[in-house]
Amino acid sequence: MKIKLRDGWYDLLRSAFADFTRNKTRTFLTALGITIGVLSVVLLIALGLGLKNYINQQFESLGANLVMVMPGNAFSQSEGGGMSNMRSMGTSFMGITFDEQDYLALNRIGNIDYLTPLFYKSGVIEGNNQRKTGSIEGANEDIFNLMNVEIMVGDAFSKADVSSRAKKVVLGYSMAESLFYDPKEAYGKSIDIDNQRFKVVGVAKKKGDPDMDDAVIVPYKTTFGTLNPNKTFYSIYAGISSKDKVAEVKEQMKTVLLKKYKKDEFSVVEQTEILNTINQIFTVINAVLVAIGSISLLVGGIGIMNIMYATVTERTKEVGIRRAIGATERDIMMQFLAEAVTLSVLGGVLGLILATLIVLVIRIFFPASINLLSVIITFAISSAIGVGFGVFPARRAAKLPPIEAIRYE
Amino acid sequence: MLKLQNVYRTYHLGDEQVHAVEDISLDIKPKEYISILGTSGSGKSTLMYLIGLLEQPTSGKILVEGKDVSKLSDDELSVIRNHFVGFIFQQFNLINKFTVLENIMMPAKYAKEKLDFDPEERALELLKRFNMLNRKDFFPNKISGGQQQRVAIARALLMRPKLILADEPTGNLDSKTGEEILNLLEELNKKDGVTIILVTHDHSVASRTKKTIYIKDGKLVGKYI
Ligand SMILES: Nc1ncnc2c1ncn2[C@@H]1O[C@H](COP(=O)(O)OP(=O)(O)OP(=O)(O)O)[C@@H](O)[C@H]1O
Ligand SMILES: [Mg+2]
Repeated sequence: MKIKLRDGWYDLLRSAFADFTRNKTRTFLTALGITIGVLSVVLLIALGLGLKNYINQQFESLGANLVMVMPGNAFSQSEGGGMSNMRSMGTSFMGITFDEQDYLALNRIGNIDYLTPLFYKSGVIEGNNQRKTGSIEGANEDIFNLMNVEIMVGDAFSKADVSSRAKKVVLGYSMAESLFYDPKEAYGKSIDIDNQRFKVVGVAKKKGDPDMDDAVIVPYKTTFGTLNPNKTFYSIYAGISSKDKVAEVKEQMKTVLLKKYKKDEFSVVEQTEILNTINQIFTVINAVLVAIGSISLLVGGIGIMNIMYATVTERTKEVGIRRAIGATERDIMMQFLAEAVTLSVLGGVLGLILATLIVLVIRIFFPASINLLSVIITFAISSAIGVGFGVFPARRAAKLPPIEAIRYE
Repeated sequence: MLKLQNVYRTYHLGDEQVHAVEDISLDIKPKEYISILGTSGSGKSTLMYLIGLLEQPTSGKILVEGKDVSKLSDDELSVIRNHFVGFIFQQFNLINKFTVLENIMMPAKYAKEKLDFDPEERALELLKRFNMLNRKDFFPNKISGGQQQRVAIARALLMRPKLILADEPTGNLDSKTGEEILNLLEELNKKDGVTIILVTHDHSVASRTKKTIYIKDGKLVGKYI
C-alpha cells in the first residue's frame, strides 16, 4: 500500500484552508480561543522565568562561598529541603535577632576569612538638598569583600572606624547618583541619615543590584544609637575562601549558636542552598501558573470542538461525495483531524507571536523571557488540543453512513 | 460482473417499516447499458446506492465479480467504490471550494495503490474530450449545469471504472443539455465499453438504453429489452 505522504498532507491542508477562507470570521474567532490560551500560558511562563532569573541574578552578585546565619529554619537543607520548608518560611520573618555577642563568638572560629553582622532598615537620606529613601546597612569593613562591593572613589571605612563608631558612610552608586547627580561628586561631602550627619568616605561602583546600589553602608557600631537602639542584627554573613572548608565551618558555626539558640530558631545556609530552595519554589509557582493558564486553553479547545461539530454537519454532503468516490472512514477522519490541528496550531502560533511582542515590551522594565520551552509547549499543546478536541467531531464525520451523507441536503 | 440476489433494504421510520428495495435480483453483464425506471419513491436511488456499495442490503447478497461484498471491510468497500464504480448524480455533487480540475482529480487522492496513469494528465484529457479545457480552473458554481454534469462525468471516469451509476443525470438540466449528456453516456458505453446503469423516472430517457428495469414500490415488476 503506497500512500504519497507529501501529496496527502498537501491535500489535507489545501482542503482545510479552502474551508477556512470560506468562513474567515468563524475561523479567526475559533483560532482566537487557542491564541488567548497560548498567550496566557506563554506569558505566565515568561514572567515566572523572568522573576526566577531576576532573583538568581541577585544572588549571583553576592560573593562566593557566602554563608549566612539567619533566623528561622527556612532554608536548611538537612531537613529534606525544598517544599517541606515552605511552611516555616513565614515564621523566619518573626524569629529571633542576633546580637554582637553572637558575632564575636562566631569570630573566634578559624577558617572564616570575612565575617560581619548585618543590620538594615529603611530610612531617609538627605544630602545636597535632596532627599531619598534607601536601605541603611550597618556592617563591619568585611561587608565590602563579602558582597563584592567595589569602591569607585574614596575608600571603604576601616576596622578602626567601626570600633570608634565613626560617622562615616559608603554610598551605593544609585544613591550617590540620586543625591549628587554625578556619583563622584558625593565623595567627601556630608549627608544626613535619619538626621545624623555622616561623612561620605567612598562611593561604590554600580552593581546592577538595586538593593545594594540604593543602599548606604555605615559601621555597625555607629548604628548603636538611634538607628539600632536594641543593638540587634538580622543576620551574620561569613565568607570562607576555601570551598572544602565550608561544610566544616558551617558545623562549627551551628555548634557555637546552639549554645544559645534552639535548633529551629536559626539557620546557617550557603547562598546556593537558598538559591536551590527559591528555584524549587519558583518551579512550583510556575507549574501553578501554567495550570491556571491552561484553563483558557481548555476553553479554546472546547471552542474548536464546537466549531468542528458544526463544520461536520455543514459538510455532511461533502463527506458523502468523498465517500462515494472512494474515501475510507480513515480518510475522512484524517481530513477533519488535520483541519482541527491546523486551526489549533494557527491559533497557537498567533498566540506565541503576540506573547513575544508583549514580552519584548515587558523586558524594558522586567527581565521576562521566552525560551525554547515556551515554543515547544505552544506547538505540543496546540496540536494536542487539535487532536484531542478534533477527534470526536472527526469520528462523527467518519462514521456518517455514506448514503445518508449523500442524501443530506 | 455484478449480481444482486434477493436483495432487501428496509428502513425504519418510527414503528413503520419502509421496504425501499424488496427482493430484487439482477445480473449485470459487462458493457451493458441499463436504465432503472420507476416513479418517485419507488426505490430507484436506494437500489443504485446498493449497487454502488454505498448502502448495505438488509438481507440478500451482492456479488461484485463473484465476490460477496457483505463480508468486506469499509476499507475494501472504499477501494471498490474508488476503482470499480463511478457515480453521477442529479445535483452534480461537485465540491464548490475546489476547481473543476481538482474535483475531477479527487478520486485519485483516495487511490490506495500506485496508479498506472497520471491523474492530472487524464483529467485534462477528459476535459478536452468534453470541450471543457477552458473551464479547468473555474469553481463549479461558476459554470452552467450542463458543464457541471460533464465535470461530474469526468470525475466518475477518472479511475477508468467498469461501471457508471447515474442517478437522474439529466434531472436538473433542460432537455437540450440533457440530450447532450445522454449522448455522452451513450458514447462512453459504445466506444469505451463502460457498463452504465441509468436511473430515471422518464420513459423517453429510459427508452434510449438497450435494457430497462422497471421497479415499483421497491419491487422489480418488469424487464424490457
Ligand atoms: N433513510 C431513510 N429512512 C427512511 N426511509 C427512507 C430512507 N431513505 C429512503 N427512504 C424511503 O425509501 C423509499 C425509496 O426511496 P428512494 O430515494 O430510493 O426513491 P427514488 O425512487 O429514488 O425516488 P425519487 O425519484 O424521488 O428520487 C422512499 O419511500 C423513501 O421515503
Ligand atoms: Mg432518487
